Amino acid sequence: MMSFRPTRRTFLKTGTAAAALIGIAPAVLRQAGAQEADLAPYKAAKIDWQQASGETITVAVIPASYFENLITVAPQFKALTGIDVRFEKIPPAQIRQKAVIDLTSKTGTYATHAADPMYYSLYAANKWVEPLDSYRADKSLTDSDWFKFDDIIPAWRAADSVDGKLYGVPYDGEVTIQVYRKDLYDAKGLKPADDLAAFVSNAAALNTPNDRVWGTALRGVAGAGQNMYIYPSIFREFGGEWFKGGKLTVNGPEAEQALSWYVDLMRRSAPTAAANWNWPDIADAFSQGTLASYIDAHSSASVVNNPEKSKVIGKVAYARWPKGPTGKRVSSIWNWGFPINAAQTEKKKKATWLFIQWAASAETQARTAHRFAGPTKRSGVNRTSIWRDAEYVKLMNGFGDNFVDATMASLQGDTDVDWRPRVPQWPAIGDTMATAIQSALSGQATVKAALDDAQRRVEPMMRG
Amino acid sequence: MKPATATAGTGAASGDLGRALAQRERRFAAALLAPAFMALLATTTFPLVFLMWASAFRMDLAMPFADGFVGLENYRTLLTDDRFWSSLLVSLVYTGATVVLQVALGLALALLVMDMKRGQGWFRVVAILPVVLSPAVVGMIWRTFMLAPEFGIVDYLAINAGLGSKNWLGDPVLAMISVIVIHTWQWTPFAFMVLLASLASLPEDIYEAARLDRASALHRFRRITLPLLRPAIVMVIIMRTMVALTAFAAIFTVTGGGPGTATEILNLYAYRKSFTELSIGYGSALAVALLIVTLLISGILFALRRAK
Repeated sequence: MMSFRPTRRTFLKTGTAAAALIGIAPAVLRQAGAQEADLAPYKAAKIDWQQASGETITVAVIPASYFENLITVAPQFKALTGIDVRFEKIPPAQIRQKAVIDLTSKTGTYATHAADPMYYSLYAANKWVEPLDSYRADKSLTDSDWFKFDDIIPAWRAADSVDGKLYGVPYDGEVTIQVYRKDLYDAKGLKPADDLAAFVSNAAALNTPNDRVWGTALRGVAGAGQNMYIYPSIFREFGGEWFKGGKLTVNGPEAEQALSWYVDLMRRSAPTAAANWNWPDIADAFSQGTLASYIDAHSSASVVNNPEKSKVIGKVAYARWPKGPTGKRVSSIWNWGFPINAAQTEKKKKATWLFIQWAASAETQARTAHRFAGPTKRSGVNRTSIWRDAEYVKLMNGFGDNFVDATMASLQGDTDVDWRPRVPQWPAIGDTMATAIQSALSGQATVKAALDDAQRRVEPMMRG
Repeated sequence: MKPATATAGTGAASGDLGRALAQRERRFAAALLAPAFMALLATTTFPLVFLMWASAFRMDLAMPFADGFVGLENYRTLLTDDRFWSSLLVSLVYTGATVVLQVALGLALALLVMDMKRGQGWFRVVAILPVVLSPAVVGMIWRTFMLAPEFGIVDYLAINAGLGSKNWLGDPVLAMISVIVIHTWQWTPFAFMVLLASLASLPEDIYEAARLDRASALHRFRRITLPLLRPAIVMVIIMRTMVALTAFAAIFTVTGGGPGTATEILNLYAYRKSFTELSIGYGSALAVALLIVTLLISGILFALRRAK
């Protein structure tokens, strides 16, 4: 757990500002003018931003560049609203548990947190978070013409809603796409895979462990957000339905085909170590030139294009998920959204909503993305309009061939709200499935036995 | 208590005074003790009682509407839960293997080091290092530097030894061996230090007498050293068994119980049920079951210790 501390950069900035104050008065005036102009786009909203002035809220986020950028511009929020925001950075593996413990004990520690969209059903079933539609409708709190909620990517809004009611506002998100080495593909005359069979044959053709290049890698380590991130897409592409006749079903012929496809691919064309890999390991291996392709979040493009570490810059290209036997391509609908903790005073809830509205607004999204002064720009902005912004598109295309087109096509065509079973029991189902997938991959159980066992375990979870 | 006995029998009035004084003193002592006692109750007894209380309820954060008192239902489920039995078996194998290895290796090392003329002090300092590391750190080191296929040191040695690259943490049997080796690597120095200390305190004259009677080295070891070391060995076994049964951090960081459930000890299963699956009631029942198993095994070991 880390609280926000001034970094060397902010320290230097403060120093420079202080020097300016002492020396050059006109510069101070200019700076004051700039501050005023900074907030003008927000003041165009017809609401009283200062209505919860004096409140202090704590926001839990994960240590990732897209939240670092938000933390950097957060002083503007304080200037705009008079609300103090404390950020607490919690690694992704712990943030869900910490949030659940806070919510269940009703301490109201985190006014809002970066929430896993799969957890909204659980939150809503326990009434731990506020339904947000009333906040959106309240004219004193939200200027809908300014906020333009409908501009936020529809699949992510749907992912943050339960039974049509909104519980979280997406801040940053991702889609799953194919990432491949253009140079290796060209050398063998291969094309990015259009279907799952072609993906297997491409990976097999490029798998040359003796030259330390493996065909591909998918997330292998067990976890609801790890191997159970990639498997649901395959399951859905093979025609799997989580709820067959209203009953949660994780086994059956489609599931067996999907899991066999994954296990065979991983055993034949991925490094052995990939069985314990999560996405950062995959992106690292790819940027070292040891992988010919992978399928994962489009946001990993910033890792494989990191000029300090990557050896494959300029050789990377992108394509959509290969389609399954049903003709479907299924991307994740992953996003980090902000809910409002219900265990707070009314005034704090208002302060929290103002923060959420500020963070999810087109203006803040732009200021933390292409208009951000620092070196890392966000690749998961929540606004359709920004994805059409020429400046942003130009910046994103720096990641390699076809990046924006593949991402946009996936966002519009491949997102599937039923990607994973959206029920309050998800944490238990996700963990059970993750264990089953890993048992099959490691050979502890056959594909069928692993899935049948998972089915036996999830059935009692659904009984009330 | 002392003033009461001192003043006893010196007349009725002073006796009353003495009793009153004694009572006041006792009350004062109780008042002094109370904060520590309360703190102990609040931090150890209360959570334990609460755990047992929770294990009699259905507490499912995913289905709050179904929560309620269920009596022994969780324990009935537990007895028919395959994963409970398999994790109990993993716990027992893990404990048995690590304790036997630690005692055997620790004793061998102690006997070897006893005869070292020089550098014994250095050896002890170096040997104690793994013990002072946090198990979570040990887990991370083994997972990333030692056991990673293609990149780790152990795998590098295996490749050079002609065994070929192995998926140390991805294969069910190898993963189990790996976590046993890690625990043994970290905790053998503890057994070594305890046994070395008691070896050093063994009386030299018995050995001299044995040598005069021309007892062989093996004889001396079996008939003198082992029986004299027995209390120390039993103590090491008891302490290490209790720790191994409740081990958590190293396995959690190295394999997370995987691959599949191959290294999922009972403790880890209870943790996953409670905090990942959010089924607090059943998770508590699992924790109580672990407590009972630990109590039973240490009870048996203590009984064995007293037996002779």
